[in-house]
Amino acid sequence: MPVQYVIEEWDFRELTLKMRPPVFIPRPETEELVGLVMEELRTRGPAQDSPASLRFLEVGCGSGAVSLSLLHHCPQCHAVAVDRSSEALDLTRENAERLGVLERLQIVQLDVLLDADSVLCQCGSVDFIVSNPPYVFAEDLPLLEPEILWYEDQRSLDGGEGGMDVIKQILCIGTRALKKNGKIFLEVDPRHPLMIQEWLRSQSDHGLEYRETHRDFTGRSRFCVLQKTAPEC
Amino acid sequence: MKNCICFIGSQLSKQRFLLAMAGAAHGSRQCALTHRYYQQWNWRRTPRGPAGLYTQQLTRRHCQHFSKELLQQESVQRYLEKMIEEYRQVTQRLNNTALTESERRTMSRRQIELSPMATVFQQSQRAVKDLKDVQAIIESAEAGEDTQMLELAKEEQKGIRKLIEALQIKLLQSLVPSDKHDASDVIVEVAAGRTTGGDICQQFTREIFEMYQNFASYKQWAFEVLNYTPAEYGGLHHAAARIAGESVYRHFKYEGGMHRVQRIPEVGLSSRMQRIHTGTMMVIVLPQPDEVDVIIEPKDLRIDTFRSKGAGGQSVNTTDSAVRLVHIPTGITVECQQERSQLQNRETAMRMLRARIYQQLIEKETEQRQSARKLQVGTRSQSERIRTYNFTQDRVTDHRISYVTRDIKEFLSGGELLEELISELLKSAETEALLELVENSRD
Repeated sequence: MPVQYVIEEWDFRELTLKMRPPVFIPRPETEELVGLVMEELRTRGPAQDSPASLRFLEVGCGSGAVSLSLLHHCPQCHAVAVDRSSEALDLTRENAERLGVLERLQIVQLDVLLDADSVLCQCGSVDFIVSNPPYVFAEDLPLLEPEILWYEDQRSLDGGEGGMDVIKQILCIGTRALKKNGKIFLEVDPRHPLMIQEWLRSQSDHGLEYRETHRDFTGRSRFCVLQKTAPEC
Repeated sequence: MKNCICFIGSQLSKQRFLLAMAGAAHGSRQCALTHRYYQQWNWRRTPRGPAGLYTQQLTRRHCQHFSKELLQQESVQRYLEKMIEEYRQVTQRLNNTALTESERRTMSRRQIELSPMATVFQQSQRAVKDLKDVQAIIESAEAGEDTQMLELAKEEQKGIRKLIEALQIKLLQSLVPSDKHDASDVIVEVAAGRTTGGDICQQFTREIFEMYQNFASYKQWAFEVLNYTPAEYGGLHHAAARIAGESVYRHFKYEGGMHRVQRIPEVGLSSRMQRIHTGTMMVIVLPQPDEVDVIIEPKDLRIDTFRSKGAGGQSVNTTDSAVRLVHIPTGITVECQQERSQLQNRETAMRMLRARIYQQLIEKETEQRQSARKLQVGTRSQSERIRTYNFTQDRVTDHRISYVTRDIKEFLSGGELLEELISELLKSAETEALLELVENSRD
């Protein structure tokens, strides 16, 4: 059994979060995803005329690591955390309470693949979207470490045939839910940045522009940043 | 302590200092810092002469270093006069409007540098004058046998004396140039040395680390452990900590170096035979630079972490969060595995790396400056021991200022005793720095 489940907690950035099977255990790469978003907030922060609160959406929150880190770091932000698993949401709620950020967090149980419209109703218009979606290629799933397959929720790993199912859905949601110039931050498989750019070229009227690819600490292309450039489509 | 009042005329003020600190050299430029003695004087009242002259003698555990006496030294006096003269000239020239912009700027900068010293000097001159006036009053009151007036005057004199002492110390401090890192936070690293006596080094390293931890809490500084590698049987192999607070570096800069321990080990043949062994441990103190002082390019860094085959990311779960940073241009390597979060480890390692690179920079700088100062930070050779802790004789000796203190247990608790030693070290260092400054200015 993974150590994190045995001791029922693990650290993520400066926070200590409770862990419980089968909720997905945050990976070290995701710490950098949060860092990217924080950097973005920092650079755009002073430019804002009003310190109005920022709203963001997290798709697939799991234990709540990403949302809670951001809420903890930015006292003015509000978050909407979405996950299809009720266990994940319970754990997120528990961690949010422990950190005292529950009032700024809205927790919604939804499967974005089935119910994208509800997401839009629930979260309204957001300043940015952040996500560590299931991105393992379906064909790679059986090759994972047994420990992962036995204890962690496979639905939090399985991204479908090209690993792109959830990613594509997030981009569609982004098209409609993001404010102008809002950004999407994704953690993906190293093969995905090119696949995403290709897919965007094949689609029209999405109003999204692919901005950057960032590498993780092992040098693999891990993070994609996209921006909404056109108004309501 | 009872405070006997000293009635000495102003002409004898120099002698007063000498009486108060027996055995001090006066007039000569002999630097009495190389040799320290452990003194105990008793309070005594010796009536002398019709004016009721009492001598003041003090009970202290160790002698205060001759800061007042230092002021009496000719060279220091001359230096002081030179500085005051320079200040007067600069002020005069600044009032004179016929100056170019750059001249004005350099003059005002110099004035700002010298003004604290000038202010204190003026204050002390005023205080000395007040003292003379009071003494005149006392003499007249005695002649007229006005006891009430006498009492009041005595009180006033006490107050002025204290003020003069404080001002003189302040004056000396304002002359000594301060280290630009004095206000920084530090990273303290401890490492056990080698010994034949079992694990006395490791035990000792742990005790010293705890001493610094207690000292940090005594001074209300933040103590954050960056690295802690225990050895077997409860000792400590090496550790690192970050201490943050006010003027931390100023207090810690003379802690760096080799500390020697002499004790009988707890286990092994030697403990049964009660044989004393000598061990050593190393303390390294690094000032923490601001981000701007040390710029590290990301391309100069190699980060080694647990790296899986394949795509990594979601497909791997690991608890191995150890990070090793290698700074390629200098070859400095830093490791950290203290935290469970890899990012935290990386940040800690970056901090340590920055401090080490900065330390290298400073050492290069100070190497160039040729100074014979004993209390020079950083360029000491690695094998020079700075302090010896003798457990069997219950004694701690600092070799740089030949300072001895008893009660090792109390010392290791990181409280007052350590603070006293540090303040003595600082005073000696300031005196040395001042004398060096005075020397250099004569040429």
